[in-house]
Amino acid sequence: MNLAGFCSLLPEALVIALMFVVFAADLFLPSIKKRLGGLTAWGLTAILACLLWQGFLAGGQKFGETFQGTFLCDPMALFFKALFILTGIIVVILAREFLKKADKNPGEFYLLILSALLGMLFLASANDFILLFVSVELVTVSFYVMTAYLKTDQRSVEAGIKYLILGALSSGMMLYGISFIYGHTGSTHFDAVRGALFGMTSAPPLLLLGILLLIAGLGFKAGAVPFQLWIPDVYEGAPIPVTAFLSVGSKMAGFAALLRICVSVIAPFDKKWALLMAVIAAMTLVYGNLGAIPQKNIKRFFGYSGIGHAGYLLTAIAAGGFSGARGVLFYLLSYAVTMLAAFLVVVYCSVHLESDDMSAYDGLSRRSPLLAGALFLSLLSLAGVPPLSGFFAKFLVLSSAVEKGLIWLAVLGALNVVISLYYYLTLVKRMYIHPPAGGVIAVPLSFQIPLYLLMLGIVGIGVVQGPFVRLAASAVSGFF
Amino acid sequence: MIALLVLIPLASALAVLLMPQERQEEIRKITFFSCLATFFISVFVFLSYSAASGGVQFEISRPWVESLGIRYHAGVDGISAVMILLHGLVSFSGAMVSRSIKERVKEYSIFFLILVASIFGVFTSLDMFFLYFFYEMAVIPMYPLIGVWGSKNKEYATMKLTLFITGGAVLSLVGILTLYQAAGLQSFDLIALQEHFAASPLPAATQQWLAALLIFGFGVIASLWPTHSWSPIGYAAAPSAVSMLHAGVLKKLGPYLMIRLALTLVPEGTKFWMPIVAGLSVVNILYAGYCAMVQKDLKFIIGFSSVSHMGYVLLGLACLNQTGVSGAVLLMFSHGVMAASAFALIGFIYDQTHTRMVDELGGGLGNRIPFVAVCFVMTAMASSGLPGFSNFIAEIMIFFGAWQKYPWPTLAAVFGILVTAVYLLRLVKNVFYGKEKVSWPALKDAQGLAQKTPFVLLLAALLVFGFFPNLLVRNIDAGVKHLIAKNPSIFEVTP
Repeated sequence: MNLAGFCSLLPEALVIALMFVVFAADLFLPSIKKRLGGLTAWGLTAILACLLWQGFLAGGQKFGETFQGTFLCDPMALFFKALFILTGIIVVILAREFLKKADKNPGEFYLLILSALLGMLFLASANDFILLFVSVELVTVSFYVMTAYLKTDQRSVEAGIKYLILGALSSGMMLYGISFIYGHTGSTHFDAVRGALFGMTSAPPLLLLGILLLIAGLGFKAGAVPFQLWIPDVYEGAPIPVTAFLSVGSKMAGFAALLRICVSVIAPFDKKWALLMAVIAAMTLVYGNLGAIPQKNIKRFFGYSGIGHAGYLLTAIAAGGFSGARGVLFYLLSYAVTMLAAFLVVVYCSVHLESDDMSAYDGLSRRSPLLAGALFLSLLSLAGVPPLSGFFAKFLVLSSAVEKGLIWLAVLGALNVVISLYYYLTLVKRMYIHPPAGGVIAVPLSFQIPLYLLMLGIVGIGVVQGPFVRLAASAVSGFF
Repeated sequence: MIALLVLIPLASALAVLLMPQERQEEIRKITFFSCLATFFISVFVFLSYSAASGGVQFEISRPWVESLGIRYHAGVDGISAVMILLHGLVSFSGAMVSRSIKERVKEYSIFFLILVASIFGVFTSLDMFFLYFFYEMAVIPMYPLIGVWGSKNKEYATMKLTLFITGGAVLSLVGILTLYQAAGLQSFDLIALQEHFAASPLPAATQQWLAALLIFGFGVIASLWPTHSWSPIGYAAAPSAVSMLHAGVLKKLGPYLMIRLALTLVPEGTKFWMPIVAGLSVVNILYAGYCAMVQKDLKFIIGFSSVSHMGYVLLGLACLNQTGVSGAVLLMFSHGVMAASAFALIGFIYDQTHTRMVDELGGGLGNRIPFVAVCFVMTAMASSGLPGFSNFIAEIMIFFGAWQKYPWPTLAAVFGILVTAVYLLRLVKNVFYGKEKVSWPALKDAQGLAQKTPFVLLLAALLVFGFFPNLLVRNIDAGVKHLIAKNPSIFEVTP
């Protein structure tokens, strides 16, 4: 590995270093132990800065590769890594708030967050099926432990086991699928597989089975129907910062892998899987949005609504091509910023109101105008209301579907906006119309600052869309 | 200049957001002066629009998202000049009426100002993206405005209203995206698209389903039967100023966007659907008219009446000739002002009596509140199409236009005038005339400039344009002539 190769690995190397620091501090420095959360958050912020510097140096070109080309640092990988680290920072802030109440050793929790994050970073750069599989496993195994973290809470343990069983099943499917692809193409490297697929005049059925199994395995991470069944239960049982990490980080990781495989590996076969993707997208949209309507628990509510959002992302993947891929990236950017703002409010409320029930949000606008305002803005952005970022994300996704002639899917997506607006507004109704269920809730400054920044992001991305569209476009333009 | 119409209310909303909520008086002042400023600008735009030169004036064009061809392209034509005046007038009156809001003034003002800004945005945009952007942005503030500050059945009403209108909007969004992709210009610019589609029209079948999405999608907000049911219940629940803006202006976005998008971009498809729209509009007129006859709640009566009157607007539009379409736009203005005035007056009474039921009010209010009574009687006269008010001119134009094309539906629509007269005159008689059956000791008439101005302003507009309709009609005609010149094939040239 030469210097350039190491430079492209820098963020990953720094996360590993940060893990060692946290580990050592947790073991040997009791004075820092109390402030591990702040240390991790600031460390990640520094890594984010380093990543942005990488992106600046790359300037829309490939930054570098290493490990014989299995690790690729291209604009798309940098885009996803920035989102993952942003998610990591917010999740650490959430975890700190959560751990104040739970009587636990915080060190190991931060370590688990960092190891999942490390897996996500490698996954974004994976250019080889083996590295892809290993990084997916690193993410998933960290999540198994985090989900079951509250060892005395039955629901947490149950959620952990449920996630473990279904996760192992999906990993198995994915690996099995990869073995078929390897068998037909003789390589696990993405570029080599793609080259082999281009050379084929007809697709052997077993190769198609392999691709199908691979998509199924990643569909599990992304929360696509019919691999979504674990989501509501695991989200409900997991500690709430983990729910946030699952619904933003893990879902984005699934889509990062799915998108790279669709645009770079199996692109030669796009006619064959486009219809399959469209059908999966349609089912996911309808299932998620209808399922969210009767929910009473805020975690299950976001679980189902997240499935609905996976439906929009799959719509863009089904549409494919440059505009579809650009749509996926913009949508994920908007989704991450919006969901993180929503979870800042939800976790704060969950910790301080000691309830995950939606009735706890009654009259929130008068208990804390800031929390209610931030959640209001996020919910409207998730529903796709202008001038917020979610609107333009849906606009790009539907536009890419129309461009590829998937008008029926665009109409279905549009109608699902109405359904989702219904259940988001029921929560708005609780916050703004119902009488308050208690006294004023004070929000500390350390929580206010990230909240204001994310709110600014929701509005800013929605109003000044140009630079962000350019960013998303430059991240995928290399593939087309 | 016209970008200020959007920027001033938005900037004021931001200013209000940053103020502490205890300073209600200052917040009210910001709202008032912001609406006053936009009112003056809208009057200025209306007066300085030159009908003789026609076309689009006050144009602004800035790139926004270049890779997608989205531009902030704003401008005013003859039709939108009139609609801007309407919105300026109604939103200013609405801001004055909003003084009766006492609770959570800060949040109310923010949503109200966003609503005002977005509607101005729709009327000034010449880019399909921004048209939709502002349109959807106008719908959503309605939810909290009605849900928090409304009355009677507000939670159900506001959800129904928001979902119905959004449902229509997203369908038309698919239509907009299809038009964008079909043109292949990489541009949302209305004028560029119009020229492109005039030179190389889309196939007839495509035009038909696109026109269906646009006409029936925007038909929801125009309360085209059978998607009207959100409207009376929504108005009944909304606070006065919101009913005023919704019935007066927001509802007119439906026919306005039909003219802007369906008529100009998919003319043949629009022509295909217009006889059906004409048929449905007659159902609107008669069915909603009959519904209004049996209502007991003042706001429900005016709500159904507005559904019925939107039928005339849509009938005029469906004629596809100069007289009919001009009449429709004139009625959009006149009915908007009339409906705003009616809802403002009802709100004034309701604030003091806390009832809007005709039998509970008990009659004879004319003795106690003569000024409000006189205003209401004038509004009712305007609504029933009495000569002297601009509604009369508009309805006559629509009938003349429609008679040439759809004689039988027109006959039914003329009968609708009678129905309107019946329920409005009965309302006036039962509420304002006769003996006082219930005494309302605390009921006070409108006093002082602050309370009287909105009513006087709105009625004065109806009277001025009733006697000098040409002030409006020459602008509208310039706009409609421009439409006809662009699409000569679908319009029937009147002799």
